[in-house]
Formats: sequence, C-alpha cells, structure tokens
Amino acid sequence: MDKLVIAGKEFNSRLLVGTGKFASPEVMAEALEKSGAEIVTVALRRVDIENKNDDTLRAIDVKKYLLLPNTSGARDAEEAVRLSKLARAATGINWVKLEVTPDPYYLLPDPIETLKAAEILVKDGFIVLPYINADPVLSKRLQDIGTATVMPLGSPIGSNQGIKTRAALEIIIEQANVPVVVDAGLGLPSHAAEAMEMGADAVLINTAIATANEPSRMAEAFKLAVEAGRTAYEAGAAVSGKNANASSPLTGFLRE
Amino acid sequence: MKVLKINGVEKQFPAGRLPSTVAELLEQLDITEATAAAEVDGEIVERKKFAETKLRTGQSIELVRFVGGG
Repeated sequence: MDKLVIAGKEFNSRLLVGTGKFASPEVMAEALEKSGAEIVTVALRRVDIENKNDDTLRAIDVKKYLLLPNTSGARDAEEAVRLSKLARAATGINWVKLEVTPDPYYLLPDPIETLKAAEILVKDGFIVLPYINADPVLSKRLQDIGTATVMPLGSPIGSNQGIKTRAALEIIIEQANVPVVVDAGLGLPSHAAEAMEMGADAVLINTAIATANEPSRMAEAFKLAVEAGRTAYEAGAAVSGKNANASSPLTGFLRE
Repeated sequence: MKVLKINGVEKQFPAGRLPSTVAELLEQLDITEATAAAEVDGEIVERKKFAETKLRTGQSIELVRFVGGG
C-alpha cells in the first residue's frame, strides 16, 4: 500500500478511528491497537468538576497516535473556531477535525459555517480536516482555501447505513487534490472496503467499532478491509460487463 | 466569600482560600493539568502560563479536556 500523506505527514494506516462510545478506556485502547490506526479523533468538553475521573486521554498513548481533536458540538463557525483554539491549547498540536452540525437530529454538517470556519482556521495556521456532506462543489472550495483533506460523509453519523452518497463521492474523489477521507455512516468492513476501492484515501470509523460486540476484533476486521480495498484500488479493477466472458479456454473440448 | 464561575456554575471560596492562579485552581479541583485547557473571561490561557495567570473574584473560567469522540 502507498503511504497516506496529510499535510506533508506520512501514515502507513489508512484507517482513522474515533474514540467515542467505547464501554471503557481499556476496551478502547485494545481496539485502537488492533485497528493499526495512527490518527485517532477526540472531542473536547467541559471538565465535570464532580466526576474528575472521566479522563479518556489517559488510555491513549499520545506518543503512538496523532490526536485529532474534533469540534463536535459546534453549531456555527464561531463556536468551531473557539473549540479549535482550546483544543490547540490542550494538545499543543494544530490539527483539527472541523465539524459544524447545528441539526441535532441528523447531525448533518452546515456547509456555509464550515467553509467560514475553515477560512479562519487555515489563516490561523491550523491543519484543517473538514467533515462535510458529500458535496463536490464545497469540497473544491475547501481544498482551494487550503484545507488538508476533505471528509465527506457516507451516510449520517453513527447510522451504520454504509455509502449512500456514492455518485457524489466519485466526483469528489475525481476532483480532489487533497486526501479524501470518507467519514461517518460506515457500518461494516465491506463499506470501508467499498470506499477504498472507489479511490478514497482513507476512512474514519467510530460507532461501528465501538459498539460491536467485540470492538477489538471488529477493529481488526476494519483494518483488513481498508488494506484490501486500498490494495484493490492500487491494483486496478478488472472491467465489469453485462455478458459472460469465459474464464476457461473455448477450444479443445472433448467432443467432435 | 470569594466567587469564581467555573464552567457556568458559581463556586464559593472562603476568604483567603481563593486560588491565586489557574494552576492552583486545577490543583484544588484535582484536575490533571496536562490534559486540560482553560479560558479565563473568554481568553485562552496557554498551559505554560497556568502558573502565572492570576485569578480574582468574579471571574468566569472554562475548564475543558478531551473525551471520547468521533
């Protein structure tokens, strides 16, 4: 497999993993290990003064993984920029997964506020990975202003529906000059393989791993699927057609 | 009584017990400094400045840290 390069940084793994919804920090740590992921997302929230032991970060080896803070919970550009700056103050790194999702029901990203926030953050020196709907025009606008990737969704966050945006994703991948990370909605390893076969540069998985019966085994399954899908893409798919095309010779039969 | 508004909730401190810096506040609340970020009256305080950023009564403080997320 080729290496994944985001903002000049090389990664061997093309699977990004989210850290939400795991039953315990230990289960999460084991799943991260098995996934082979090198980039893991985290969210930023107020410290619960009454319950100070809710420290997820202690289970993540920050020397091993690049922490990618998200701006989840932001309802507009202003909130997303504030969260990004707080995350930078907390990690000392300037990578951010930008997400602006004012609609609590489908959690679909707001394209206008996302573009606005991305412009501000790129100017401020952030490496911006924006979560977006599968919108080819928005993808171009974002890469033009200097985002490090685009992260179009396959289907709504946490829905496990798989790729419902195939036609638009194909256009995004064709036009992209930054890595395309398919994020959200991928529920099975086959969904991840499908995205990779299409030419996506990476996928981000959280719910499908975290809420599986055995998260660490599911993490491994996603790892294998991403590697299979990517290798198939690099190998170049055979042509599909309507009619049968015999695999065995059509000569030398034992008759006449 | 001295007061700090922490994450939207007013917290009272007996006279003389108001933490004098962000670092001292985190220590009093038993929060690991290395994983937290702070805002004082809307201004982000860099972690290396926790120890030198003075607090006074009436200020509004946000303390955040990372949790699991996708």
